[in-house]
Amino acid sequence: MSQQNRDGVWNPAYHHSETLEMDRGSPERSQHQNPYASEDFRPQWDGGPTGRGGPEVLPPYDMERGPWDTTETIPMRPLPSEQDFGERYPATSPQVRNGFDNQGFEWEPANENSLAPPGWQQNSLEGHQAYRQGGESSLRQRGVRKYSLFPTGTLSTSALERLGFKEDEFQDVLEEERQDLVRELAAMSSRDRVRAVRQLPMNLQEKDQIRKTVLLMKTSEKQRQEQNCCTDCSQNVSMSFRRCGASLSAVPQALQLWQGTLKEIGGRFGTSVLSYFLFLKWLLMFNIFSFLVNFSFITVPQLFDHEAKNTGTFRGLEILTGAGYFSNSVLYYGFYSNGTVSGGSASGNSTSGMPQYNMQLAYFFTIGAYLVLCCISLVYSAARSFRENFMLAGAVVGNAGRLLSSWDFSVVNEKAVRLKQDNLRTQLKESLAEKTNENLSLTFSQKLARFGIHVAGWLVSTGMAAGCCAGVYFLCCYNMNLINKSPASQSLTVEAGTLLLPVVVSLINLVIPLLYSLFKKVEPFTFPRHQIYALIIRNVLLKMSILAMLCYFWLEQVVENDNINCWETFVGQDIYRLIIVDFIFCLLGSFFGEFLHNVIGTKCLSGLGVPEFDIARNVLDLIYAQTLAWIGIFFSPLLPAIQIIKLFLIFYLKKVSLMQNCQPPKRSWRAAQMMTTFILLLFFPSFSGALSVVAFIVWRKAPSKSCGPFRGLAVPYDAVSQWMDSVDIDFQGSSWAVWIYNNLIKSVLFFLIITLLVLILIYLYWQIVAGRKVLIVLLQEQITNEGKDKTFLLEKIEKLKAQNSAQTALASGREAQRGGAEVSHHTGSRAFQRSRRRSQDRGSRGLERGGVSTVDQGSRSTGRGRMPEYEPRSRGRDTALPGYVQEGLGTTSMLGSEREYPGRTDYLQEDPYSQEDGTGPPVPSALVQALLARRQAEEEDEEEGY
Amino acid sequence: MGNKQTIFTDEQLDAYQDCTFFTRKEILRLHTRYHELAPNLVPMDYTNDPDCKVPIQLIINMPELMENPFKERIVESFSEAGDGNLSFNDFVDMFSVLSEMAPRELKAIYAFKIYDFNTDNFICKSDLEQTLNKLTREELTPEEVNLVCEKVIEEADLDGDGKLAFADFENMISRAPDFLSTFHIRI
Repeated sequence: MSQQNRDGVWNPAYHHSETLEMDRGSPERSQHQNPYASEDFRPQWDGGPTGRGGPEVLPPYDMERGPWDTTETIPMRPLPSEQDFGERYPATSPQVRNGFDNQGFEWEPANENSLAPPGWQQNSLEGHQAYRQGGESSLRQRGVRKYSLFPTGTLSTSALERLGFKEDEFQDVLEEERQDLVRELAAMSSRDRVRAVRQLPMNLQEKDQIRKTVLLMKTSEKQRQEQNCCTDCSQNVSMSFRRCGASLSAVPQALQLWQGTLKEIGGRFGTSVLSYFLFLKWLLMFNIFSFLVNFSFITVPQLFDHEAKNTGTFRGLEILTGAGYFSNSVLYYGFYSNGTVSGGSASGNSTSGMPQYNMQLAYFFTIGAYLVLCCISLVYSAARSFRENFMLAGAVVGNAGRLLSSWDFSVVNEKAVRLKQDNLRTQLKESLAEKTNENLSLTFSQKLARFGIHVAGWLVSTGMAAGCCAGVYFLCCYNMNLINKSPASQSLTVEAGTLLLPVVVSLINLVIPLLYSLFKKVEPFTFPRHQIYALIIRNVLLKMSILAMLCYFWLEQVVENDNINCWETFVGQDIYRLIIVDFIFCLLGSFFGEFLHNVIGTKCLSGLGVPEFDIARNVLDLIYAQTLAWIGIFFSPLLPAIQIIKLFLIFYLKKVSLMQNCQPPKRSWRAAQMMTTFILLLFFPSFSGALSVVAFIVWRKAPSKSCGPFRGLAVPYDAVSQWMDSVDIDFQGSSWAVWIYNNLIKSVLFFLIITLLVLILIYLYWQIVAGRKVLIVLLQEQITNEGKDKTFLLEKIEKLKAQNSAQTALASGREAQRGGAEVSHHTGSRAFQRSRRRSQDRGSRGLERGGVSTVDQGSRSTGRGRMPEYEPRSRGRDTALPGYVQEGLGTTSMLGSEREYPGRTDYLQEDPYSQEDGTGPPVPSALVQALLARRQAEEEDEEEGY
Repeated sequence: MGNKQTIFTDEQLDAYQDCTFFTRKEILRLHTRYHELAPNLVPMDYTNDPDCKVPIQLIINMPELMENPFKERIVESFSEAGDGNLSFNDFVDMFSVLSEMAPRELKAIYAFKIYDFNTDNFICKSDLEQTLNKLTREELTPEEVNLVCEKVIEEADLDGDGKLAFADFENMISRAPDFLSTFHIRI
């Protein structure tokens, strides 16, 4: 290679560097001018040695233009005729010529040198990008997270050096960020600070250091503010308070139920099945809370009342029927007294010094407060889960989401992991297959058929639900007739007969959902998700309509029936039986549904397979039972206790059944969104239905005449109005409370205004949400546009780099070619240095553009302002050149230059002029110089355009 | 309770509590687990910050990680030197990020690190291929792997540079509601 060069290869890139040299020589000159357009420019060129003929210019130039034009898309103005060019600019400047009179000049170093900077430049660009990316992405949401995302781990010191950062410079930047962070943290309240520190994406030691710095800063500030001896003391106190609080906050964690079991379930069956158990646990907590409230505010005071005594005998069947012994106990409404209860033995007499306890009010307010608390906590959890899980879920997550976010890290069981991997593989294959025949669209008749099937499915399912409701209603009426015939009968058979209704209801609840799930065999759904939702809606419809029918029966038939002396207790017993029988059917369901399925599937019919745990059905069962419990809370305040026992047993039962019989679900189950749906279901038809039933009873239905706390009142709510009247008389100071009661609580206008306000507020928020949606769309468009800009600019940089390297390569070839004439090591090295300087200059300019295009793509206008920040760094690299030259050649992707260079050498080898006379044609060089200078000027024009 | 004082000082426990999502009790439990990994290496007394690291081999054999296809990457992402040997601080850090309490942004940052196999701060195609192979036990054909990876990049790459930067990744994660519950290891 060097052999040829010494022979004098004509190298056009040299001329490019030549123009650069001239740029540097005249810094005052306007950048946008085409140097060849100015007349002053000519003498400089004319002064150089001349004597090379014009005609010689043409062939090499022509040959050269080919590759230039194919690799370069920067538009050029039409050139003057080549002949003219050659005559006008016949030779190079003398200064440059000097440099190439060196025979022993080596090609290789110059080559390396000219190629290295682009590579280095790219490297540093990426470095910048990575660094900025690390900093900025974490910085976005909270000011606290300004600290670099990848502080040391990924950008090692050597890498930094390669990127052109002095290590201490980088440290300075980090240190600065750190200081900012510490200041920000110090300005926060201690609670926010702890939370912010916890969320810092760095390792523990760094967090700890930052925390200590902040604390130090805090204490020094405090000491400056108040030189008080109490400061120390108060600090100690606050510290111990914090420790105390921390240990208190650990208490609920210690109480956390079933931690190990849940971990085991999650480990074997994944998050989706786990979510069922978490839901169950959540319901259990709910019931424990309501039990505590009811027990302590209603039952405990009642137990002090010694007048009421239970005289029944316990026979055993009561556990199932809830009647008999239980019917006259604290379990039901009818047992509670209507008077005031005072402690001690002073049986209801207000003369004893003990405080009065009005059972009517206690009953009313406890139930009311409990329902309100339930409502708040339900709304809160539904809203939170909605916010977390439906935040941006509008767009369907395809492969990407499935691939990178679907892996369940909590699964630790080997078999489960393998199964999950297999399932994921099948899903991916399926989705690939779908992608390939995506265009398979349905014909109109097929669509019509599908629609028909759906309509039929809905008709059949709704019809079944209606039929079941009717059946339940007639059964209820039949039961009623039996009671009417023999009202006073206490025999066992009658009591057992009452079990008929709950058994039928539970049977319906068990069998009909199974029928519904058979629909999927005939009903085609495009997405499995739709199928699940349809199934859920049908099941909810069935269960809720049965419950509504029962409520209607209780409120219309039972209340009016004179043969029942305490209808609240009667309803309470009905609900009790429903809950107990539902539990038994739940046991049977898991036995037959899961255990037998498993046995048959593994032993007899292998086609049946091992059952999957049906999350939707099980969750709906839980919701149904909870609805019953909420409706029953008025009739039977201790129903939550039954519910607690039931849920507790169900947990273990389901766990055992799951572990023994089931396999993890095959389909990926969007557990988080499903959970949100379930909580919403629990809130909307279930809780709000129960609430309206209870409210209806309290405001509209006359209580029994002979039992319960509200006996003798027209409606239960009268207890409150009477109490308010008595308050008005008894306590003089509380007239404001009465005023509030009369003017606000009782006033329709007040609620009307509040409702209007809420509606207006909702409308406002609705509009804000709509606006934000538009904004999101706009921002997403902007992101894509920025991306396009980025790729465009990157391509541009690549091209420029390619051009640079090619030109410098040609320049060095030219140097070598000239070097054939004279032997002067000294000048050769000078030329070497000069060309190196040029390429560096070029490189730093490229970096500037890189800085504009990639780093600050969001704000191109400020990009210019930031340039100086990068420039010194890149210049600072000059000293360490040889190192990065090696690096650049060895590691970086000088795509453009490498792609282009071989072709160029080929051409150079074939150059007839270089073969003929060892010096090569000088006039073409002038032409090329002109051309390149012109192109450069145009580039600069472009650059300025940004 | 007397035992507690010998492992950590109160200040240390405060620091751990302020810097992680764990309570004191959980920190102590974590220490026990850490100690069990290498009883000869890890001292019981941590009051003077002993410098000891448990090698990667012992850590990835924890039952919580053993079957995880990304176990090496998880441990490497959390080790300070990137080699997978964890000091106790790294260990606590790891389970803190993987705990239930950690917010989505923090989890996303470390998930990104885990999936970024070649640590170039981008999830590029080769990273995706490795991820895919780990997720499917390398039983997809190369063409399928290629196709899926292209699809993923096409779907998630917002700025069109052919690889997923952290912003792309975070955006994708925010659309996958299950991520918060699945990027979670119970200890």
